[in-house]
Amino acid sequence: MRNLLHDMNPSIKFITVTIAMLGLAFFFNPWTPLLFFFSIIVLQLCCSRMDWKIWSLFMLPFAFGAFGYLWTTIVFAAETGGTVIWSAFGFDVTDEQWALALSLSFRVLAFSSLSLLFALTTDPVRFVMSLMQQLKLSPKLAYGVLVGYQFLPVLKDEFFQIQQAHRLRGAAVEKYWWQRLLGVRRIIIPMLAGAVRKAERAAFAMEARGFTGEPRKEYYQPVSLKLKDFGLASAILTLVIASSIAGAMLSA
Amino acid sequence: MPMPDSIFSMKDVSFRFPDDVRNTLSSLSFSIVTGERVAISGPSGSGKSTLLYLLNRLYPMNCDGIVEGDIHLFGKRAESYAPGEINHRVATVFQDPDSQFCMPTVEEELAFTLENLNTPAAEMTEQIRRVLESTGLAHLRNAKIQTLSGGMKQRVATACALVMDPEVLLLDEPISHLDPKTAKEFIGWLDRLQKTFGITVIAVEHRLDSWGSFFDREILIDADGAIEADRKFIPHQPFHYPLRLNEVLDEPAISATGLSVKMGGKTLLHPLSLQARRGECIVIAGPNGSGKSTLVKALCGIHKKSSGTVTSNPCGYVPQSPEFLFLTPTVRNELAFSGTSSLLQLQELMDSLRLTHIAAHNPFAVSHGQKRRVAIGAMLADKRHVLFLDEPTSGQDRGALLELFDLIDSRLEKGDTVFIVTHDMEFAAAIADGVLLLKDGRMTGMFPAKRVWEDPALLAVHHLLPPKGAMQHAESPA
Repeated sequence: MRNLLHDMNPSIKFITVTIAMLGLAFFFNPWTPLLFFFSIIVLQLCCSRMDWKIWSLFMLPFAFGAFGYLWTTIVFAAETGGTVIWSAFGFDVTDEQWALALSLSFRVLAFSSLSLLFALTTDPVRFVMSLMQQLKLSPKLAYGVLVGYQFLPVLKDEFFQIQQAHRLRGAAVEKYWWQRLLGVRRIIIPMLAGAVRKAERAAFAMEARGFTGEPRKEYYQPVSLKLKDFGLASAILTLVIASSIAGAMLSA
Repeated sequence: MPMPDSIFSMKDVSFRFPDDVRNTLSSLSFSIVTGERVAISGPSGSGKSTLLYLLNRLYPMNCDGIVEGDIHLFGKRAESYAPGEINHRVATVFQDPDSQFCMPTVEEELAFTLENLNTPAAEMTEQIRRVLESTGLAHLRNAKIQTLSGGMKQRVATACALVMDPEVLLLDEPISHLDPKTAKEFIGWLDRLQKTFGITVIAVEHRLDSWGSFFDREILIDADGAIEADRKFIPHQPFHYPLRLNEVLDEPAISATGLSVKMGGKTLLHPLSLQARRGECIVIAGPNGSGKSTLVKALCGIHKKSSGTVTSNPCGYVPQSPEFLFLTPTVRNELAFSGTSSLLQLQELMDSLRLTHIAAHNPFAVSHGQKRRVAIGAMLADKRHVLFLDEPTSGQDRGALLELFDLIDSRLEKGDTVFIVTHDMEFAAAIADGVLLLKDGRMTGMFPAKRVWEDPALLAVHHLLPPKGAMQHAESPA
């Protein structure tokens, strides 16, 4: 039960999440995204081994963003109709404004929790393999992404090496953000030079092992597509529909 | 007609890259038969690797190169093979252990190869088990490739090649990124495998002295890409560096007492003390992860030290990839970057490092040896006269090593102090005044160079091989 979301076919999960996001975008009342946000949390509570510490850490910036939306919509909103429900420090907050502000910030929460659901329960390698097997992504592209993924730790290491080297040369003037940005550009150039060489070597190594980019016929670990994947997908979509209906009713 | 058991045969083959005027390979004729162990040697840029890529069909397709003459692979014309077809029979292991893999674990990487060959899924498990067993890598089946050492990665790459059950194994400088001890172990392992599988082995290699008597035959390519010699393989002697005659000055350049480094609650370097004088060359050696880079970075102030004091002339650091240091679009600006040296001093420096003729070039676009000279130049222009070179010998051929030797020797003569992190004890024996041995983040000691070479047990504990031909240095009057 608690592995359900992790074991779900990544392509199906990806499609489901995309549809859910598009669906949510059509509802402008505050209740729909709020209800959906909570139902996603409940879903994760019972169907995943979510590490809630990591989840909260990722959620934190989104929560700030949501609050930012709330605040700016209230303070800087264009004059709208509706009755004034609250006024303080010279601001008059109308009920329409308040509803719009809540709707925007709950949307941020709903979308981000959905993205995190996908990101934190999906193994990137399995995702790419599934895209290739179920959605017929070209193997050239798929293995290209996988090679890139293998290079990430090496690139991270190089980034710090170069940063240290530049600091030693007194090049890292990091007083203003634009200077830091300029500094990053200087670090990226040697990294790119190395990455081009690495990419060519990796391509040769793959080709020498018989990789041609043709669609493959056999898989060692086929990413399965089972009935329960569709079950879970419809569960998520049901949540979208249920929270839309409930949201529409509550705000009517 | 090629001989029936000839695997490769070339008749009057020339090869040219589309943008070049000159042929990279010219008029090659030879054939290789089943079960041979052939070394292809020659200086850098002689087209050795190009030749190898003609044998596994990576060229001419990938570079639009122009081939003249006849290449027969297994008795068939090379052009008649479909893409990928030859790679079932000819497997290749490349030199860089870090860019040969596309999957996270050993098992998945092996499966990638089998999937390329359209092996039925039901047979894959058995084939993977078999190749891991015969290569002695069964314990690594689920290991993450990125966490393995360079030597192990090369073994995994070889296993990935052998899982195809090929008839020929091509090796493209497979040990150039490995330290000598790991390289020796890899060659021993390869020797046993070749005997088990009876496979034909063809290796491109510029440091044949490490290979002992592994090969049967050597094809030597000259700088113009023609065959200079095709002969029975005779074990190569390590090559000799010139003798160093200059004196260490009696002026202290750097001294550290009680230096230690802690990071994230872990002690990377236990307290140690050292000093070095002007004109002195110290080699820092020890197993991977013993704290060599940490020590170097702590001494030149990149890492924060947790305790101790370092009194030193300004320190310069040249990473293994010198281009990590570069900040500007020309060599001249690179040296002038900090504005510490006057124009006259810069000109002198460029003359002494032979950089004047490339002063207007982009530092990213010059040769590797030149990049290192630019990096050292930049450090010296900043008046940093204690130089730390991180792994400058790794992956270098004979000519490059000699050039490096001359470069370091000339800096020592000018009174600079040079620290070198290296596994290459032949190089160390030629250049070092002192050897600093590290193990598990602790300094075993700093020894006079000559004493260390006479103590193989001490070297073995630090995963080092005594320099071949050390006796010659011991006897010489230096």
